[in-house]
Amino acid sequence: MMPMHFFFSDKVILLFDFWDVHSVGGMVLSVFVIMILTVLYEGIKVGKVKLIQQAKTAVAPSISRENLGEPEGTSVNSSVGPTTSSLKKRLSWHLAETLLHMIQVFLGYLVMLAVMSYNTWIFLGVIAGSAIGYYVAYPLLCLR
Amino acid sequence: MAHAEHHEAHMAHMGHNMTDSTSPTMDPHAHHHATTPGHMHGGMMEMTFHFSYHNVPLLFSGLVINTAGEMAGAFVAIFFLAMFYEGLKIARESLLRKSQVSIRYNSMPVPGQNGTVLMETHKTVGQQMLSFPHLFQTILHIVQVVVSYFLMLIFMTYNAYLCIAVALGAGAGYFFFSWKKAVVVDITEHCH
Repeated sequence: MMPMHFFFSDKVILLFDFWDVHSVGGMVLSVFVIMILTVLYEGIKVGKVKLIQQAKTAVAPSISRENLGEPEGTSVNSSVGPTTSSLKKRLSWHLAETLLHMIQVFLGYLVMLAVMSYNTWIFLGVIAGSAIGYYVAYPLLCLR
Repeated sequence: MAHAEHHEAHMAHMGHNMTDSTSPTMDPHAHHHATTPGHMHGGMMEMTFHFSYHNVPLLFSGLVINTAGEMAGAFVAIFFLAMFYEGLKIARESLLRKSQVSIRYNSMPVPGQNGTVLMETHKTVGQQMLSFPHLFQTILHIVQVVVSYFLMLIFMTYNAYLCIAVALGAGAGYFFFSWKKAVVVDITEHCH
């Protein structure tokens, strides 16, 4: 039966029916795993922004070069070549970004469901993980 | 009532015949519990991920998935709902940016006659609240909040098909709608 209030217990079933915790050691391990998931979530948030920044620097020069070259370029082949290659480059960056976004959404929901177990230890694990993740990952944003 | 129906469906699904249930060694109920721990049971909430398309309630009281076809329909619908959500988020962002740009543009200091500087169309808070872009943003915000809660509640069913639909929809929406944004819009600098 679903609990509707927070409680301290070393018994919980998390997310999957094989993740059945009924000992102190198991609970410690579960809190640790949930913490890792939450740190990962925060890391992916920052990682997505970093990826967008990098994609801009990786793709932008080729676009500006194209724009500069376009009025001068008379040959059809030379203008088609770089366009498709830069499109491919952009597409691969965008795919990586999309993948990160999907993982972020999925992890976010997983963490939400873990909190919904109303187990206080798990909840504290999520809070601690979020704090650690933010503390560690956010300064990495400014790293070039 | 719902339970009896469900049980029958379950028996048919598992390929049992009715004689099985009369044998004393094989309590159909216990068997049922043992084989399908991830099944919905008389409206009780599931607490772990499971693949199933029998008796899956979906948000509203009349909306219960009972067949594979209905699950496929729900999958597609939820996929597009999640896609719509991503699109809405990105659309709101770009709309907000556009209206902010126009406000900044409108409130440029304009040199007036005899050397005075006029602030053109500097709106008050009340005027900003009543402005069309803000009202539109508010309506879109309501839609976004409702849809995001729907998606959360769908994920909370722990039904793996529906969860996958939400994740894939979010991915597809992000892929298609942020494609344009990546080029046009400048990313706000996080480090100053």
